[in-house]
Amino acid sequence: MRKFSKVMLFVLVLMLVMQGVWAQGTKETAAQDKTIRIFGAFRGEEAARFDEIIRIFNEKSGYNAVYEGSPEFETQILVQAEAGTPPDIAALPQPGIMHKFAQEGYIKPLSSRVIGMIDANYAPVWKDLGSYGGKTYGVFHRVNAKSFVWYPKKAFEAKGYKVPKTWDELRALQDQIVRDGGYPWSIGFESGNATGWVGTDWMEDVMLRTAGPEVYDQWVNHEIPFDHPAVKRALDYLGEIFLNPKYVYGGAPYILTTNFGDSVKPLFDKPTKVFMNRQGNFITGFMPQNIQDNLEEEVGVFPLPSIDEKWGTPILGGGDQFVVFNDKPGVQEFMEFLTTWESGAPWAQVGGALFPHKSQDFNDYGNSLEREIAKALVDATVFRFDASDLMPAEVGAGSFWTGMVEYVNGKDAKSVLSDIEKSWPR
Amino acid sequence: MKRAVKMTRSAKIITLLLILFCLVWTVPTAGILITSFRDSDAAASSGWWTAFGNLKDFTLKNYDEVLGGQRFTVGTAGGGTAARRGASMGSAFLSSITVTLPAVIIPIFIAAAAAYAFAWMSFPGRRILFAMVIALLVVPLQISLIPILRDYQKIGLNGTYLGIWLAHTGFGLPLATYILFNYISTIPRSILESAFIDGANHFTMFVRLIVPLSVPALASFAIFQFIWVWNDLLVALVFLSGGGQMMEVVTVRLMNMAGTRGSDWHLLTAGAFVSMILPLTVFLSLQKYFVKGLLAGSVKG
Repeated sequence: MRKFSKVMLFVLVLMLVMQGVWAQGTKETAAQDKTIRIFGAFRGEEAARFDEIIRIFNEKSGYNAVYEGSPEFETQILVQAEAGTPPDIAALPQPGIMHKFAQEGYIKPLSSRVIGMIDANYAPVWKDLGSYGGKTYGVFHRVNAKSFVWYPKKAFEAKGYKVPKTWDELRALQDQIVRDGGYPWSIGFESGNATGWVGTDWMEDVMLRTAGPEVYDQWVNHEIPFDHPAVKRALDYLGEIFLNPKYVYGGAPYILTTNFGDSVKPLFDKPTKVFMNRQGNFITGFMPQNIQDNLEEEVGVFPLPSIDEKWGTPILGGGDQFVVFNDKPGVQEFMEFLTTWESGAPWAQVGGALFPHKSQDFNDYGNSLEREIAKALVDATVFRFDASDLMPAEVGAGSFWTGMVEYVNGKDAKSVLSDIEKSWPR
Repeated sequence: MKRAVKMTRSAKIITLLLILFCLVWTVPTAGILITSFRDSDAAASSGWWTAFGNLKDFTLKNYDEVLGGQRFTVGTAGGGTAARRGASMGSAFLSSITVTLPAVIIPIFIAAAAAYAFAWMSFPGRRILFAMVIALLVVPLQISLIPILRDYQKIGLNGTYLGIWLAHTGFGLPLATYILFNYISTIPRSILESAFIDGANHFTMFVRLIVPLSVPALASFAIFQFIWVWNDLLVALVFLSGGGQMMEVVTVRLMNMAGTRGSDWHLLTAGAFVSMILPLTVFLSLQKYFVKGLLAGSVKG
């Protein structure tokens, strides 16, 4: 027993010494105060690529910006803001959180210099998304665009299919694929506790195409009820695809149980049975490795076709906005750096990222697919932010997701929409 | 004779049933183990039970990425690309050990002393204090996160190991005190009385008698606490955030390895086995106490 307590004592002393050494380390960096803490939700490969961007800034400016990603970012940032321990800069995925932080006074407005850069370098929609109460807080850097349909190029062309330009052409293509014994769509809703977001993205895309951007905005802001006829109409368009087992590989059970990332994989099975997957630009990272290595030859992409000519082909997207919690030296410089193409080009080169910067050079994108998508994004006459990220969390990260799941599960459109309407916080 | 045969037959049936249950119980783990050696595309497109049909899909790549750091291609300034390796499991392992050992040892010492006091010393308010400790068992730790974080901010404990040790100590103490109290209060009074007559004071009695006698209970609590702290994600995220990548514990590192949208989930299978090694070692080496300790305090008198 005595030996045991000696060992324990030794361990304890060792720990205290280690603690001391560590504390000294932190004190030294604190004294110089060149550290800029950046906190966000992206991790793994994306974080490694962002680190490279930060390195450029650090080498240029002499500051020491450090990025940290967390799997529970949304919860943690709320806790940290409330406890008074926020990072210096945070990358917020939802404009709603930014509004909340701005309202509470947790985040600081951008300097006029950075705002000038935003005016010069971004379409107005990005500034609006980063503004609240007449002040601008957020800088967008890497964004994603979701209104795209991916197909296995070789098999698609071998069958003689043509990329549809209009919704009617899309319908004709669907029937053609069914006649040839294939399935038009592979759709997967599963995404852990966020299951259903794929459905809300579809819904938003169709809303933009059937009702137009103004009604879309009213819908997002709850100026029209969620069970408004315009919303019902969009859902009926979806039902035509989702609820038809001939159109969807594996039918409703497959939609509900397949992970969104896995749902793109059957497109590349041999022989090809299923031909289309609608998803954001990030889906390329989920494709099989041999496909990713030959992306340009193996994969084709087109924007989800227009339904009402009046609204053209709108683009739905999303993205993290960087906001400032601590206005210490170097922070505004970093924000300014994010508005420049210098901070985007290296990432565009390796792929997996799109940028809204007007000053970008499309030739910097590593493959033609992303180049096309980036062009579509920058040139889009209508761009709208992901509605579920703009709606209150009870709906946008709750009943809207589950509503889409219930709809695919066989619940009728009317009660799905009225249930979501009831859940809207008043 | 006939009776003996019947006994063996029923014993056989029970053994068979047990083997069956064990097999069913192990199937998921076996599946993860097999998947951890499979190529990511193969793992995503077919079930692990089909793995032996295609032996070339087996690979050590997952373990290489988990132990040695993920392989990333990043774009560098000036338009080039470069290969980088992500943070490896090694530093996360060290960090987890640094968090876990004190977070197990500190509450044991405090709780053992407290349990002794509650069991064998009489002082005013003993029952009320004990009831309060027991009541704390049902308080979810989540509600205390923000207040503690605020206080830590004031005294500069955020993102330090000391901070997370104290947090784990606090969260573990009620259960520790309760388990150890139940065990220590069952030690026969006569032993303590004879020691008292021999001139032992409370301190000697605690150090010389109580602690050695309650090793099974201490060990079983140590196992509980070790596994809880080792597997903990929430507390580590809250109190070690801001400490930088060097302080990430195993659970956080694993979550981060899967990538933003979980596209690298195949690494989790290998990661699960790597992170399992230490708890498994602890469990197996302390197992003989564990069985005794499970019954700690369950039978009085």
